[in-house]
Amino acid sequence: MADETARAEAEGQVAEVAAPATANPNSPYAWPKESRLLSTRVNRIDGTLKVAGKAKYSYDMQRPGMLYARILRSPHPHARVVSVDLGPARAMRGVKAALTIVQPGAKVMYVGDEVAAVAATSEDIARDAIRAITVRYEVLPFLATVEQALRPEAPAVFEGGNVKESQVEEEGNLQAGFAAAAHIVEQAYNTQVQTHVSLETHGCVCEWDGDKLTAWASTQAVHGTREGFATSLEIPQANVRVITEHMGGGFGSKFGPDVQGVTCAKLAREAKAPVHLLLDRREEHLASGNRPSAYARIKAGVSADGMLTAFDGETWGTGGAGAASGFPLPYIYAFPNRRRVHKDVYINAGQQRAMRAPGHPQGCFITEMLMDELADRVKMDPIEFRIRNLPPQAPNAMWREYFKIGAQRFGWDKRHATGDQAPGPIKRGMGCAANRWGGGGRGTQAQCEILPDGGVVMRCGTQDLGVGTRTLMAIITAETLGLPVSAIKVELGDSNLPFSGGSGGSTTAPAVSPAIRVTASKALQELAGRVAPALGVPADQITASDGRVHVKGDPSRGLSWADACRRLQTTPISVNGQWEAGLSASGTSGVQFAEVEVDVETGVAKVSRILCVQDCGLVVNQLAAESQCIGAMIMGVGYALYEDRILDRNTATMVNPNMEWYLVPGMSDVPAIDIMLMNQPERGVIGIGEPPTISTAAAIANAVANAIGVRVRSIPITPQKVLAALDGERAGGTL
Amino acid sequence: MKPFAYVKAANEHQALAALTRERGKVLPLAGGMDLVSLLKDHIAEPDRVVSVKGLDATITAADGGLRIGAATRLVDLHQHAVVSAQYKALAEAAAEVGTPQIRNLGTVGGNLLQRPRCWYYRNEEFACLKKGGARCFSVDGENQFHAILGGGPCHIVHPSSLAVPLIAFNAALRIVGPRGEKQVPVEEFFELPDRNLYGETMLRPDELVTHVILPPARAARSATYEVRFKQSHDWPIAFASVALQMQGSTVAEARVVLGAVAPIPWRSPAAEAVLKGQTMSDALAVKAAEAALADASPMSHNAYKVQVARTAVKRALLQAAAATA
Repeated sequence: MADETARAEAEGQVAEVAAPATANPNSPYAWPKESRLLSTRVNRIDGTLKVAGKAKYSYDMQRPGMLYARILRSPHPHARVVSVDLGPARAMRGVKAALTIVQPGAKVMYVGDEVAAVAATSEDIARDAIRAITVRYEVLPFLATVEQALRPEAPAVFEGGNVKESQVEEEGNLQAGFAAAAHIVEQAYNTQVQTHVSLETHGCVCEWDGDKLTAWASTQAVHGTREGFATSLEIPQANVRVITEHMGGGFGSKFGPDVQGVTCAKLAREAKAPVHLLLDRREEHLASGNRPSAYARIKAGVSADGMLTAFDGETWGTGGAGAASGFPLPYIYAFPNRRRVHKDVYINAGQQRAMRAPGHPQGCFITEMLMDELADRVKMDPIEFRIRNLPPQAPNAMWREYFKIGAQRFGWDKRHATGDQAPGPIKRGMGCAANRWGGGGRGTQAQCEILPDGGVVMRCGTQDLGVGTRTLMAIITAETLGLPVSAIKVELGDSNLPFSGGSGGSTTAPAVSPAIRVTASKALQELAGRVAPALGVPADQITASDGRVHVKGDPSRGLSWADACRRLQTTPISVNGQWEAGLSASGTSGVQFAEVEVDVETGVAKVSRILCVQDCGLVVNQLAAESQCIGAMIMGVGYALYEDRILDRNTATMVNPNMEWYLVPGMSDVPAIDIMLMNQPERGVIGIGEPPTISTAAAIANAVANAIGVRVRSIPITPQKVLAALDGERAGGTL
Repeated sequence: MKPFAYVKAANEHQALAALTRERGKVLPLAGGMDLVSLLKDHIAEPDRVVSVKGLDATITAADGGLRIGAATRLVDLHQHAVVSAQYKALAEAAAEVGTPQIRNLGTVGGNLLQRPRCWYYRNEEFACLKKGGARCFSVDGENQFHAILGGGPCHIVHPSSLAVPLIAFNAALRIVGPRGEKQVPVEEFFELPDRNLYGETMLRPDELVTHVILPPARAARSATYEVRFKQSHDWPIAFASVALQMQGSTVAEARVVLGAVAPIPWRSPAAEAVLKGQTMSDALAVKAAEAALADASPMSHNAYKVQVARTAVKRALLQAAAATA
């Protein structure tokens, strides 16, 4: 993976690119002050294809003579593979290739870990064939839960220990901080393991032509995946081509070829035929990443006048078998004195991967719940309390303003004190939470062709994860060339196109947009040079608008776009450009509000409406940016209420590796969604893919507490937990 | 999935001829909403699948009640004029099944005969009691959705939405087999795991459910109240169907049946006794709900279901009493 952000994301680290907070107005490619298309609502240029079911995803790829592959996975959470006999599978009619993924002597670390694979003439045969493979395992002790792993008598399952303690983060004087506190809250919080649930599963179709490999992959990084294939297969990068025409979501979990990609390529080589290897839903849940769980024991102090004084946090979580579980804490708010220590707890479960704003939803949920508890202690409105304790306002830290305008829009003044006193079983409540994110990007190249017939092609080796990158490229090109969006042909999702990095860390828009702007501008300059003699002015006096190439300030002195291009005769314009500083930036802020209805006789919580107030610098496409917010908040609803990877505590086997018991919000579970997108054109383009998912669960959890008068300090907020919390209250539990 | 022979039965006779006495070897296929996933997940591995889609799929008036072909689709049941007017609890339950796609393909017979959704039963890795294994994994495992009544040694909850209101209406099933045909009350059709571990009903492998016989509604006021977490596709945590014969505001007769709480649809004579002869009120509904769950014995993680089920009974009663006959 060439791109550092993408690499960090793939490793599950919190990815925030250090970049300037504002754009450079003096850039020669500065965004137009008065735009025709930028920040408007532009329909996706591939929307019709998708709605009509004509967009071909990697999953849909069909090649002549294509085989189907399946992977045999470990049924044991921890075992040494003694032997693997592929013979019975190979002997089956229709099986064309088989290979061992884990060599005898090596270990499998979780249920679902890859063992072997088969390619056959149909998916049914491949499924039957992997069941015919004989594997002998030496079953080893395992850890199914965090609690089991933390027991002193736990078996040593992981080299170097089942628990890895981080360094202590410390600032200020904790003792003095608590001494200054009028109230102290000591509480425990917990978030679950969430899986990505990309609707298009992981995998690819691989086809060899001699020593050249083409992979139609579902990936967030066509170039990174090319590099991954080359390294794993020990072939030159020049011999690999990765294509992702359309993609059905990745959310941070799809950066390289992965085990299944490399396996697919090897099977295709052995079988001398194209091979289709895309995972099924069960495999997605087990082995393609997840958001780690988080547990926190917090002691925090607040002064009588509502100022935070101290924060002492012990946290832990599991990212599965040997993977990290870190997250930022405390989140956003200024605790002058603080200490925090974190432990990674390893269990025998699928490893975590970066997932939409890695770490932030966990840190946000814990901190924002705590903030409401502290506000309750000092009997202060949660927003007023937050505003007092926010860091100073800055272009990338606008929470004070956003809380105020959001509160007004949301009707926060109608919020009652903790505990809805209304009669009847349905209790209503409101909550809020803030978020921050980086969202800067860099390092993208592009190529623009202007053809003698007036055609324009913009090429860039980025990928469209389903977020509208293709349309973004068309909008910027069209804006720059004075053409309609429909006049631009966009090519992306191919490692043969000019380099762009992985789409992670909300970096795509800020990495790609400047490159497109620069490249389209350069192409226009070249066109201007070619038509300058005809217009009788120097090239630098020529611009394009409204479908004409003309003298700056005088649209009547010029040529139609078609006439101008015709003067290219037989030589098209083809220019390359790349990302330049000054057109994009980093650092976003946002706040969210939620209103819920909780049935205290059933424990069922339902989100009735949510509002997000979010910035992302210069909004390229209002419609796509809002769409990102909508998707992110729906994902946040799932995180707050429904989603939970449930491992059987006795076998470390996931009991809900499906979409029947792994609950994701359906249409009827989606609340009314309101979005206030705060355009900051002077800052340039900033990514928005991740920040709008961060605060949703925290705002919902606070709204639930406001509704029912007791806190459910653990997500997902299931009926079981709501009823237990209410029972605790009746038994004299605390707020 | 294991390869199997496929037989398309044009009538009952052909269907019966294709069945065998041996359990699990030949399975009927109607909408396929359950069977196909059982096949794909290797939970069922029959040698032969018999399509019974072609059997009676009509709803006809009979003896003052209704005769419903087992192949009737759920969508046709809940949209049926007589069902939705006179058997509200049944129409409401049918309308809550799964998703529109499932209701458009799933059948009445399939809904009654679907296998449990217990995640230990459904995941091949778990060699559970019901699949011939040595233990029920739910006992000291993840049992938040398991039985609070009638469980042991297996702790499934029965997944049928229709069986519960059908018992409330005292419906019967027409069953055909090599020994002829018979009618069995729905209430007697289902069997607890301590009696029948590997199946959930008295139906033998060589028999077929062909019809549901609904007796006259007798102006019963009825309702089904379902509590589920998600409003979109999700299984109920608990639900209740009730049918009341009212004389003014007095309950002359009541049938109270709970779903998703026990390995079979769970009728509560105790709740019915509380209601009989009493004036319907919030307090009476609460009392009946408490009686219905008095014998609940929750497992380690499903005590909350007792409260949820109580609420379902209470609300079903109040909804039925408020409904027009």
